Amino acid sequence: MTKVSRLVLALAGVAAAAGPWWLGDGPMRFLSELFLMLAMAQTWNLLAGYAGLVSMGQQVFVGLGAYSPFVTSIALNLAPFWVLPVAPLVCAAVAAVVALFLFRLREAYFAIGTWVFSEVVSLTISKIERLGGERGMGLPTAKLIDPRWLEPLTFWLSTATAAGAIVGTYALLRSRVGLGLMTVRDNDLAAASIGVDVWRCRFVAFVLAAAGCGLAGAVSFAATLYAAPSLAFDPNWVVVMMFVVLIGGIGTLEGPIVGVIIYFTLRELVTVVFNLSAGWYLVGLGLAAIGVMLFEPAGVWPLLRKRLGGDWLSVRRQPPATQPIGGTAGDSAAG
Amino acid sequence: MIWIETMVNGVLYGGLYGLLGVGLALIVGVMRVVNLSHGEFIVLSAFVGVSLAHVMPGVHPLILLAPVAVIAFALGFGLQAVLVNRVVTRPDPFASILLTFGVAVVMRNLMVEIFGADPRNLPAGRLAHASTTIAGLSVGVLPILILIMSVALFTLLQLVIMRTRFGRIVRATADNRDVVRLMGVNPGRVYNVVMGLALALASVAGMLLAIRSSFTPYSGVERLLISFEVVVLGGLGTFWGAMVGGIALGVAELVGLKFDPNAGPLYAHLLFLVVVLMRPNGLFGARP
Amino acid sequence: MTLLEVDALDAFYGDFQALFDLTINVDAGETVALIGANGAGKTTFLKCLVGLIETKRGEIRFAGEPIGREPAERISRLGLSLVPEGRLLFASLSVEENLTMGALNRRPGSWTLPRVYDLFPVLRERRRQMPNALSGGQQHMVAIGRALMSNPRLLLCDEISLGLAPLVIDQIYASFARIRAEGASIVLVEQDVKRATSAADRVYCLLKGRVTLQGPARGLARDQLSRAYFGA
Repeated sequence: MTKVSRLVLALAGVAAAAGPWWLGDGPMRFLSELFLMLAMAQTWNLLAGYAGLVSMGQQVFVGLGAYSPFVTSIALNLAPFWVLPVAPLVCAAVAAVVALFLFRLREAYFAIGTWVFSEVVSLTISKIERLGGERGMGLPTAKLIDPRWLEPLTFWLSTATAAGAIVGTYALLRSRVGLGLMTVRDNDLAAASIGVDVWRCRFVAFVLAAAGCGLAGAVSFAATLYAAPSLAFDPNWVVVMMFVVLIGGIGTLEGPIVGVIIYFTLRELVTVVFNLSAGWYLVGLGLAAIGVMLFEPAGVWPLLRKRLGGDWLSVRRQPPATQPIGGTAGDSAAG
Repeated sequence: MIWIETMVNGVLYGGLYGLLGVGLALIVGVMRVVNLSHGEFIVLSAFVGVSLAHVMPGVHPLILLAPVAVIAFALGFGLQAVLVNRVVTRPDPFASILLTFGVAVVMRNLMVEIFGADPRNLPAGRLAHASTTIAGLSVGVLPILILIMSVALFTLLQLVIMRTRFGRIVRATADNRDVVRLMGVNPGRVYNVVMGLALALASVAGMLLAIRSSFTPYSGVERLLISFEVVVLGGLGTFWGAMVGGIALGVAELVGLKFDPNAGPLYAHLLFLVVVLMRPNGLFGARP
Repeated sequence: MTLLEVDALDAFYGDFQALFDLTINVDAGETVALIGANGAGKTTFLKCLVGLIETKRGEIRFAGEPIGREPAERISRLGLSLVPEGRLLFASLSVEENLTMGALNRRPGSWTLPRVYDLFPVLRERRRQMPNALSGGQQHMVAIGRALMSNPRLLLCDEISLGLAPLVIDQIYASFARIRAEGASIVLVEQDVKRATSAADRVYCLLKGRVTLQGPARGLARDQLSRAYFGA
C-alpha cells in the first residue's frame, strides 16, 4: 500500500472516530447504513467473487445476526451492544453446519439451496412465540442504553464493521487460504490437481462471510431495537448485496465500495429527488444489474481503474523472481 | 381418515407443483440455465389472468388458461431472444442466474407499482370449494381437475419431446449446440421456443394456484423455490421425476399444514433439505 | 472443376493464431488427405470450413460461392458435411434419430436411410439403440451416415480412424468407394499417413498451422513426408 493510501486511511479513521461531533444525526444514520451495507457486500463478494459461491440466502445470516444478540441481551439483561459478538459466533456455527449439506450442491443449485435454508429458518422463527412470532420482538433491555449514545455507537460500530470486513477480506486473500481461494475461483479442477483443498478453502470463506454478515446484521438491528422475520430475513438484503457487488465490480475489493456509492446515489435520486416510491429504485437497481451482466460483467470498478490509474486495494501478488537454473535465458524456474 | 384425505389432496396438488417445476426442468435440461425469474412470470400470468377475468366477467377462469398460456409463451420467447440468449454461450455458469435474477427483481417491483401489493385471487365460483366423495374419501373437485390437467400436460410434453421432429431437434440441441448447427439448426431459435413453452406451462400452474390461494407480487419467490425444489428432487433430465418430486412436496406441505397450520411451505422446504442431504442427485436423476 | 478453394486463410482462437495463410483446393470428385501431427491445425481448418470458427482473414469459396463469413447453419445447406472428431453423436437420440437429424438439411441426392443401412448393415439391427450402447467403430459409422444423409457434395472426415481396430478401419475406408461412387468429394483428416495416402488422390501436410507439403498421394517420398510432418 502506498504512502498516500496510508495517509488517506489514517485521515479517514480520525474523521470517523470524531464523527459524532461533526456529523448530525441524519448523516450519521445514513453513513451507518452505508457502512453496514458495504460490510455485507464485501462478504458476498468474498463468497461469489473469490470463492465462486453464489449465495442467494445470505439474508439468513443477517437475520440470525439480528436475533441472536436480542435473545442474549434479554437473557443476560445486558445492553445489546455488549453482546454483539454473539452474532458472528452463532452465524459461523450455523454456517459450518449447514455447509456440510449445502456444499453437496453445485453452482445454481447451491444458490437456491441457501435461499431455501433461509426461508426455513425464517419460517421457523416466525412460529416461535417467545421470539415474537411473525410480528417480531422489541428489546426490553433498550432501557439500558443511554439514548444519546445510540446513534454514535451505531456509527462507530458500523464503521468498524465495514473496516473490519475490508481488512479481514484483504488479510484472508493474502494468506495461504486466500491464494487457494483465488485458484479455486479461476479453475477449481486445476486447483484441486495442484493440491489445493477446494472444499476447505470454500468452507473457510463461507463461515467467515457468514460471521461478517451476521455482525453487520446485528449492528443494524440493534440500532433499530426491533427485529421481525419479514425484516430480518428479507431476501432484499441479498438482492442489494448482490447487485452492489455486481455493479461495482465483482472479485475486487474496491468493487463493493464503488457499488455501494452507486446504490445509495440511485436510491436517494429515486426516492428524494424524483420523489418516487421505494420500489422504483429496486427496479433501477435490477435494470443496472441486467445492463452490467449483458455488457460489462466485470462491473464499474475496472472501468474506473483505468481512468484513475492504479489499484487501491489490490490483492495481486508478485510472481517469484525467476532464476535460470544454469539453462538458457528464457527458462523459467517455475517450469 | 382425515390424514388419508390430506395425503390424497397432497398428491393431487402435487401435480400442480410438478407443473410449476417442469418448465424450469425443461430450461435447465435444454440450455443449462436456471431462470430465476420463473416465479415472477408465474405470478405475472396470474395477474394477467385476473385482469382478463375482470375484462370478461362471464368467462370462467379455466377457459382463460389458454389465452394466458399464449401470452406467457410470447413473453418467454421474448425474454430468451432479447436477454438470455446473450449469456447462454458464456462459459460463466452464473451469468444466466445473475441476469435472470435482475429480471426477477425488476418484474417483482414493477408488479408492485402497477398492480399494488394487495393479495388477489382468481375467483372460480363453486369450483374452488366443491368436493366429491370417492371411495369414502372427501376430495376436492378442483384438485382432481388439477391432477388430470397436470398429467395431460406432462404426457403431452413427453410426447412432443420424444416423438416429434421438433422434440428431436430440442434433444439434439440440448446434447450439443455446436454440432446441431451443422444440421442447419439455429440453437438460439430452439431456445426461444423452449423458453416460451416452459413459461406457458408455468403460467397454467400459476393460474391454477391463483384459483386455489391468493397471491401478491411477492409470491414469485415461493413459486420459484417450489419449482426449483421439484427440479432437484426429481433429478435432472426426467419429466416424470418432476411430477413425483412435485407430489412429494405437495404431500409434505399439506400434511405439515394439517398439524401446523401456520407453517406455510416449511415442511416442503424441510423435505427438500433432507433429500438433498441424503441424495444430492435427486430421487431419480443425473447430477445437478 | 474446383469445388473448394481456400485462399490465404488465417484462423484465431482469441489471440492465438492457429492457421497461417492456408491455401488448399479440392476438385470435384477428388479425395484429398490432410495429414499432420496433433495440434497442426487440421481440425481447426475443418471447423473454419463449416463455419464453426469465424474467419476474418482469407477466402473460402465453395462451388464458387464465398462462405468464409457465413454462419454454420447456412453453410450446412450448401453441401458441406462434417464428420466431427470424436464423433459427437447426439447422446439422447437413438441411432436412427441421429441419422434423421442429418437429413434435416438434405439436398437432392441418393443417400437415404435405407441406403445408409445398406452401407453399414450393422446399424440397421441397432437402429433403436442409444449411441453409448454401440462400439467405437459403429459410432463412427453413425457419424458418417449422419453426415451422408444430407447428400453432401463435400464430405469432411475428421480423424475417423482414431481409436479403432485396424479391421474396423478397413471396413470404414471400404465404404469410401461407395461414397465416392455416389458423387461426393472427400477431405480426409488423418494422423495415419499410410491410410491417408492410400485412400486419397492428393495430400496436404500441415505443421503448426501452415501447409508444409502438397502433392499427389502416391508420389511423395518417405523422408519428404517425415520432414513435412514433424518439421526439420
